[in-house]
Amino acid sequence: MAPRRIVVFVIIFALILIAAYVSTALNINPPPKKVRPLGEFYLRHSYFGNYTAKSPEVVTSIVWDYRGLDTLFEVTVFFLAIMGGLTIFRLEKKKTVEQQVSGGMTLIVKLASKILSVLIVAVSASIALHGHLTPGGGFQGGTALAIAPLLIIAAYSRYALEKHGLTYLKAVVIRSTSLLFLWIVVVLPLLNGYYLMQNQPFYPSRFYNQLISGSLFYYNLLDYIAIGMGFTAIFLYLSIPEEIYKEELEAEMK
Amino acid sequence: MIEEFIWNVVFYTILATLGISIYGIVKKPNLVKKLIALTIFGDTVNIFVIFIGYRMIYPIAPPILPKLDPSALEDFVSKAVDPLPQAFVLTAVVIGMAVNCLIAFAIIQVYRIYGTVDARKIVEKAFPEEKL
Repeated sequence: MAPRRIVVFVIIFALILIAAYVSTALNINPPPKKVRPLGEFYLRHSYFGNYTAKSPEVVTSIVWDYRGLDTLFEVTVFFLAIMGGLTIFRLEKKKTVEQQVSGGMTLIVKLASKILSVLIVAVSASIALHGHLTPGGGFQGGTALAIAPLLIIAAYSRYALEKHGLTYLKAVVIRSTSLLFLWIVVVLPLLNGYYLMQNQPFYPSRFYNQLISGSLFYYNLLDYIAIGMGFTAIFLYLSIPEEIYKEELEAEMK
Repeated sequence: MIEEFIWNVVFYTILATLGISIYGIVKKPNLVKKLIALTIFGDTVNIFVIFIGYRMIYPIAPPILPKLDPSALEDFVSKAVDPLPQAFVLTAVVIGMAVNCLIAFAIIQVYRIYGTVDARKIVEKAFPEEKL
């Protein structure tokens, strides 16, 4: 590292310490001791009261109930981002890849990733389906689910996944279907005389005496599948060998 | 007093990281380095939003009801952190990852077409007649 960079680093660090000392002495930026009124409203009403979401997990009830429309359009941004990525990487026609599976990594890695991928799917399902009770939810569960195919791609190859039926076309179709169901859950209260995306009292909060917090459970489940499959499609596209794209580009240039 | 000092150190460290990551986005010609700086920028903004929602009290609790009992509600509200910033960050992290994936896809495609990820050379190759 060049000595100039060390000097810059030391200057920045010293400035941070001096600014922190000055603000502490003058009490410019005191740390808050109370929750803001809006946050306190959510804390009080997430399970009790008239504006309840019937969920003890306050963050999930904000994400999918109080601020549900925000999240809905963020899911749309997610959909467009992944669709954009797949459009940039599209292949003109379906290439039949005759490349043989070279065998992947060693037996130890293969066996370990076999066990781990099953465990990852189980843990991610637990994160997503208990999202209305404990920290977690569809977003986190979906990203955790996408690690399992990534692990299999790394240890075996993408052909091992495709041989067992998980092609990117299937992943995209499953993702779009679950997003469609998510929109059905959104629109269903409107058709029955409630507001758009209303949770209580339209959706039952308990299912066979198990707390499912109305629509929060369905949103978490559908979002879990959508995001897991979206990232799986991205990983499958990213693992296509580079030679295929080179041929494709050379054919386009001609 | 020492808690407030550490609080302020964290605050100014976040500000400094924001400044450094904006410098990286603007100054580095390499597109991959620009993307790395952009991810640092996004993560720092997320940390800043979480930082806003924190309360400097002890003991402090996560915003999850410990038991479904109305009598425990007052105690819970006096301890729990603000849940709203956490809810924003929760979606922002995943959306940020998807958008970063899109940018990474675009950079790979740029590399395939131009054979370089240096922004200056890409401009030279894409618009040969223009002089910068």
